Formats: sequence, C-alpha cells, structure tokens
Amino acid sequence: MTALWDSLSVPVQDALWLAMLLVPALAVGGLVLRGLRPWPLVRAMLWRFRGPNLLFLVLIAVAVGLGIGLLAQERGLRAGTAAAADKFDMIVAAPGSEMTMLLAAVYLQPSDVGLLSGDVFAGIAGHPNVAMAAPLAFGDSYKGAPVVGTIADFVRHLGDDRIEGRMFETSTEAVAGAFAPVALGEVFEPAHGVGDVAQDDDNRHAHAGAGFHVVGRMAPTGTPWDRALIVPIEAVWEVHGLANGHAPAPADAADPLGPPFDAAYFPGTPAIVIRSDALWANYALRSTFTREAETMAFFPGAVLAQLYRVMGDVRQAMSVMALVSQVLVAASVLVGLLILIRLFRRQLALLRALGAPARFVFAVVWSYAASLLAAGAVLGLGVGWLAAAVLSRVLSARTDILIAASLGWPELHFVAGFLSVATVLALLPGVAVRRMKIVDALRG
Amino acid sequence: MPDALSVSGLVVPGRGGRTILSVDSLTLPKGRSLGVRGPSGAGKSTLLYALAGLIEEAAGHVTWEGVDLSAMSPDRRGAFRAERMGLIFQDFLLFEELSGIDNAALPALFAPRAARGRIAARAAGLLDRLGLAEPERGVDSYSGGERQRVGVARALANDAGIVLADEPTASLHRGAADALIEDLTAMASDEGKTLVAVSHDPALLDRMDRVITIADGRITDEVGP
Repeated sequence: MTALWDSLSVPVQDALWLAMLLVPALAVGGLVLRGLRPWPLVRAMLWRFRGPNLLFLVLIAVAVGLGIGLLAQERGLRAGTAAAADKFDMIVAAPGSEMTMLLAAVYLQPSDVGLLSGDVFAGIAGHPNVAMAAPLAFGDSYKGAPVVGTIADFVRHLGDDRIEGRMFETSTEAVAGAFAPVALGEVFEPAHGVGDVAQDDDNRHAHAGAGFHVVGRMAPTGTPWDRALIVPIEAVWEVHGLANGHAPAPADAADPLGPPFDAAYFPGTPAIVIRSDALWANYALRSTFTREAETMAFFPGAVLAQLYRVMGDVRQAMSVMALVSQVLVAASVLVGLLILIRLFRRQLALLRALGAPARFVFAVVWSYAASLLAAGAVLGLGVGWLAAAVLSRVLSARTDILIAASLGWPELHFVAGFLSVATVLALLPGVAVRRMKIVDALRG
Repeated sequence: MPDALSVSGLVVPGRGGRTILSVDSLTLPKGRSLGVRGPSGAGKSTLLYALAGLIEEAAGHVTWEGVDLSAMSPDRRGAFRAERMGLIFQDFLLFEELSGIDNAALPALFAPRAARGRIAARAAGLLDRLGLAEPERGVDSYSGGERQRVGVARALANDAGIVLADEPTASLHRGAADALIEDLTAMASDEGKTLVAVSHDPALLDRMDRVITIADGRITDEVGP
C-alpha cells in the first residue's frame, strides 16, 4: 500500500488527500440530505437572519483566511529566501557563524566579521575546480541602499547577464540593482557605514569626492541585491584608503580591474562566493576550504535547510493553532446559530406539526448551519489569498526578498479539513432541535 | 355515517400531577364539523393538539378514521398528519421569507416525491379559489386576511380529510374573519372534510354542526347532533 502511494505523483497524492479530507463532509451531507430538499427553507432562514448570518460569515472567513494566509506566507517566505540564495553556491568566510555570514553575503545584512587574506583568496581562486571566486566588500551605503564591492563576473552571474546599460569598467563606475535609489547615468557618493551610522555627518562625508557613475542597471533578481549599488571591489578598497588588490600600474596604463588579484596588495575580504561548474566538486571544495582557525566554507542552501527544519516545527504549531482557532470560531458561530434557531423554533415546530419527518427538520437546521460554515470557509480562501498577497508585498518591501505567496494544496487541505470538522459540528444544532417539544415551540 | 373521530379516556397531564385535559369520550362523524369553545386557558388548544397527536404525554386513545394515533410512534403520527390532516393556526405561522404559493405548497417539500407535484398544483388552485390575487408575492406584504387564506390553502393542500383549526379568525378583523369563515366552511363542506375548530368567534361556531364547551379541561356542554 505504501509502495503504491509512493508511486503516485505529488499532485495526485495531494488531490487524493483533498478528497479524503472532504469525505467526512460529503458523507455527513449525503446522509443528512438523502432524498430531501430543504433548500427553500434554508434560504428563508439565511434571509431572515441575514445580518447575523453575514457577521458569522465574515467571522469564519477571516478566521479561515488569516490561518491559511499565514501558512501560505510562511511557505512563500521559505521559497523566497531559498530563491534569493540560489546564486550563492558556496561561501567561504573567516570562521564564525554561518548564519551571520549568510545574512551578510546573501541578504546584505551588515555585521562585523573577520577578513580573509590575499593568500587565502589566491588559493581559492586558483583551485582547478573553482570556476568563479568573487570577493565581496560591504560597509558603505547610499540613501539607505548598501554599496557592495565585487567583481564583474559575479554581477553577471547574479543577474543572469541581464543588464540595462553596461557593466562597470573602471573603479568609478557602478551597476545599480533593479530597485536601487539611483537613475542610470546618475553620480552618487557613498556614505560610510549603513543604517543610522551612515547618517552621522562624519560618515556621510567620509567618502567625499569618491563619486560613482551609474552605467548599468541589473534586471530584478528577487534578492536584497536588487536594492544594492554594486561597484568594483577595488573601488571599495580605494575609498577606504587601502591597496586596490593589484600591484601599482605604470602611470600610462589603465587601472586593472577584477581578478587576478595580487596577494601582496589584497586588503582582505569578509566573504568569497564560489561557483564550481562540477556539482560533484562542491563537497570536496567545502572540505578543502574549511580549515580550522583560517576559513569556513558552507552551502547557503544547507544553512537555510537547517533554518527551515526549525521553521517546519513552527509551521506545524501554526497549523494546529490556526485550526484550533478556526474550530473555536466555528463553535462560537454554532452557539450563535443555536440562539438564532431558537428564534425560528415556531416555524420548525410548524413543520413537525404539519407532518414533516424529524429528519427533514434536522436537515433544514444542519443545512443552514453547514451552508454558513461552508460559505465562510470558501470565502476564507479568498480572504487567505488576499492576506497572503498583502503580507507578501509588505514583507518583500521590508526585506527586498521577492516573496510570492500563493494558495496551494496545503491551504486547500486545510480548508477541506475545516469543512469536514464544521459539517460534523453543524449536526449539533440539529440534535438540539430534535429534542424540542412541538407544542411548547408552537405556543412560542 | 361512520365516525371520523373517536376519543376515549384522553388525559393530558400537566406539571405537579395536575390534569390539563380529561375527555372521557368524544366522537365526530366523517364530513361533519365540531366547534370547541370555552374560556382562555380552559384546554381548548390542548384538545386540538392532542387530537393532532402532538402531545407525547397524552394518555388514552385518539382514533381518526379507524387509526389509533396513541399506538403510533411520533414519526408515524407525523406521517399520518402529513397525509391525512391539515392544521390552521391563529397567527398563521407562515414563513415570512417565502411567497404565498411557496407557503401554501409547504407540505410538498417533505411529501413523497410522487405527491409533490399534486400538492403544489392543488395549493395553487386553492389560492386561486380563495381569491388571493398575487400568490407569487412575499407573504410579508399580505394583509391578515390574505395570510390566513394562505394558511387555509396550506392546510388543505395535501387534500387531507381532517382539518384542525386553532382560533382561525382570532387575528382577523370582522370582514376578513367572515370571508374566511365562509371560505373555510364551504370548502370543508364541498370536499367532505371533517373539521374541528377551536374558536371564541360566535360567527364561526354558528357554522359548526356541533359545538362543545370546555372548562377546566373537561367538556361541560355540548350543542348539536
């Protein structure tokens, strides 16, 4: 059986899960409604209490919508952060926290980390299985956008070579991220530091005279690098009064830009992004470049996977909490419905007096409650989609990570589960009505 | 003429060991009408509900057209009412959200599939005969007289032989009440229905073949054959 299940494609498994989760709802509905047609009276009840019914509908829809919206958001966040790290096959940095380094290199969150020397960089860049070794340099900003130094190959790699304008060719040129606060052709002077630090007068003018001409703009990558201003790493070193990674050139020669770097003039880099053309070589490279007290090499994807494992537990807890809160809302709504049904009890008693089977009256009451719960759940899908879209926009704007949360199978499963629980709970008002004394109810 | 109704030893207990209604014997021939009068709280409506088999606690025997309701389960009594009884209420008890025709054809909703069309057609015919001008309109816009005509059509829609009416004219002004009395008694007479009507209305009681008076849960007087 397990083998058969495993042999099915994921969409088929998801569809079967959905069907299985809907079975209780369909079974209850089928049993209650078999051969009956209570809908004219259900419509009458829905219309009579339209105000409270609308309120109940909104309550259920919001409860369901927020639950599934948050779950979709968590999945979108996971996918977005993973996609942002996609171009960072491996990072080598000074020993320390992989997470800190991941945040600094991939998500451009500033932090104080140790530097790797020119010899270390040369060893890595010269390794036969390394196709690209890109040093990174952080620490400056312009209008809140980080200014990052690196090499042209990495910019091409990051943006899939999609650049409006052209790549920087001198140490006074820059390429802007897709959403960086500069226009093509603009000249900007970076401030020293990022965030509030960069607002100090000293820091704001620390690099006065070091203007960068924006010559290109990358296509959107869905990463925080979309807000970055990317300059040659040599320029970052130079504006900080350091050597530029190359031996001094003759006066009439053009400034060298990009690798190879001269280890003797290499000021240091906090991180090196490595790409290897051979997938099999990656694990060997990680082992090679992880040297006690000198370097650590890690796969950003592996660090994120650890993070997701922790988030996976959180997700499960969120799922349970969301379901519990929705069931509580549904139970509250059912209590409200019981009160409303009491207002309708004379009409229900009338049906029994006219000879309607108890099962028919039960079906009227169940259908009324189940209709509201089901409509609320379906409406909740819409609310969930909207909540996910709004949250995605807010989070994308705040993190610069492209988060595209959409409703998927997990959310459909969630709503199906809620529907089944709700249709079973909807039996309770019907049970209460069955115990009603007809004559007492007729007399009001 | 055989009896349509036969009651013997009917007792409806109340709280604290009190007896709300006690009827030793009551009969009514098929196709005849019976008026029930008496002061408020005397047990008139309780008698009507007991005759309809709606009071679980009732003891004794209520037999309609040879069928003893006392020996039946609540569901079977319900089925008996659906097929062979029509009930009319003082305050109409209509579904305000439905049209006149939908209210009149209400029994079709829970009738056996084969009978649904017939009930709906008869309900429409009855409303027409009762002169209801716009049966498709919502009953919330009807006058009291129109609403009770819908109530009468609903009671007769299943073409039941027995009609039980609880104060059918009490919520109507005199003109509407007189028109309803005329319609109800004429239809019951024309179609050979057995009619039991609880009422304070002399105009209605005067049209009944026989009238009984109930006081303190007992029949104290009887006028008519």
